[in-house]
Amino acid sequence: MLRFLQERVNKKTKATDANAATTSPEQADYDKISKKQERVKELMRLLAEKLGKENGVEGGQ
Amino acid sequence: MSLPLLQKPLLGLVVISAFASGVCAQIQLPGEGTRPEAHLPTIPDVQVQSPFKPFDQARFEKAVRDFGATALQLKTFGQEVEEIGAARAADDLLRKALPKFDEAVLAAEDQDPKAALLLAKVLVETKSPLLQAHVRYHMARLFLSSDDPERAIEVLNEYIGKNLNHSPLDGEAAYFYAQALAEVPMIDDAIPRFRAFLAWFPNASERLRSAAHQRLLELELQKESRLHMLADGMKKTTRDLRKQKTDKPVQLDQEAYLEELDELIEMFQEKEKQSTGPASGNGPSSSPAASSALPGGDGSVGKLNNKPSLADRWGDMRDSERKKIMADVQNTMPPQYQKMLEEYYKKLGKADRK
Repeated sequence: MLRFLQERVNKKTKATDANAATTSPEQADYDKISKKQERVKELMRLLAEKLGKENGVEGGQ
Repeated sequence: MSLPLLQKPLLGLVVISAFASGVCAQIQLPGEGTRPEAHLPTIPDVQVQSPFKPFDQARFEKAVRDFGATALQLKTFGQEVEEIGAARAADDLLRKALPKFDEAVLAAEDQDPKAALLLAKVLVETKSPLLQAHVRYHMARLFLSSDDPERAIEVLNEYIGKNLNHSPLDGEAAYFYAQALAEVPMIDDAIPRFRAFLAWFPNASERLRSAAHQRLLELELQKESRLHMLADGMKKTTRDLRKQKTDKPVQLDQEAYLEELDELIEMFQEKEKQSTGPASGNGPSSSPAASSALPGGDGSVGKLNNKPSLADRWGDMRDSERKKIMADVQNTMPPQYQKMLEEYYKKLGKADRK
């Protein structure tokens, strides 16, 4: 799921960057991708913390 | 990993399911992990010798006297140095002597969106490296508290380049420089700077020294956690995207996250293959999860106080007040600060509000 979500953010980033040459994306467009990236980050963090609690090694924060 | 593209999301699901059910409880993850590389601030090398000189109290007092500090204020300063330390006492004295500076710092302490503009105004109006040091210190703190460590580093770079050895705030500036680097995250740069802070400022406040020790421990552990490293990198990219950075360097960081996820998935699969029987040791769970969804809730530590954030305050302002601040930025600031503040307020307007 994480991989899928990150892949989607990557595609959206590339598309926005490509569009920027012809149209000018608005701040709201960037905020939308940023939000998606943030969501993946939050899931990643959640996973790291869950694992950290379970084994005490892979969870240094 | 050479798996068909369509299989990868499914594998991700399987792996997350395995994580959530504790199958991988004893797994360690070797390897360096991934670090973001796009648009990192430029920073000077860590110096082998401390560039900081001991605080020259006589020179400081003369400079503050030139600002109009009274004999009584200087006497109080002398007493406060003993009680609260030179850094805090010096900042207090400057605030007493300079009402505009005090107003700006009060605004910063109050999370007032005007604070960045007020501080920048004091900065452009003064030629005193001492006052510049204090203003830049407060600006950096303000940017850090607004989740903008890159801009905090920019301001502290100016502090280091132009204002070093004028104020006893140097130690605190060094600490927050390391802190800002850690926030980016530029962990490999932050660690030696926290160490340098501890070595070069043995008389810094106990609060900061113990915080630096704590941060060092956390960062060393963070370096061992590829999952946290990955989340930290994504946090940086989140900020980049909000700042309208979608160019090649950002895309390369994002591709690196995918590669890292692939590698982690592969690593966990390998571990699962190697294990004989259920990895948890006692058979399947008696209450397995119905789906592979992650549990709800916020993974980050919550805010520790309920004071309205800068973004809240900015959002609560009347349109006319916001326009006035922006007009002030455009009409009264020199180009470099105009750009910095315009971006800062733009970001504030888009930040999440509570």
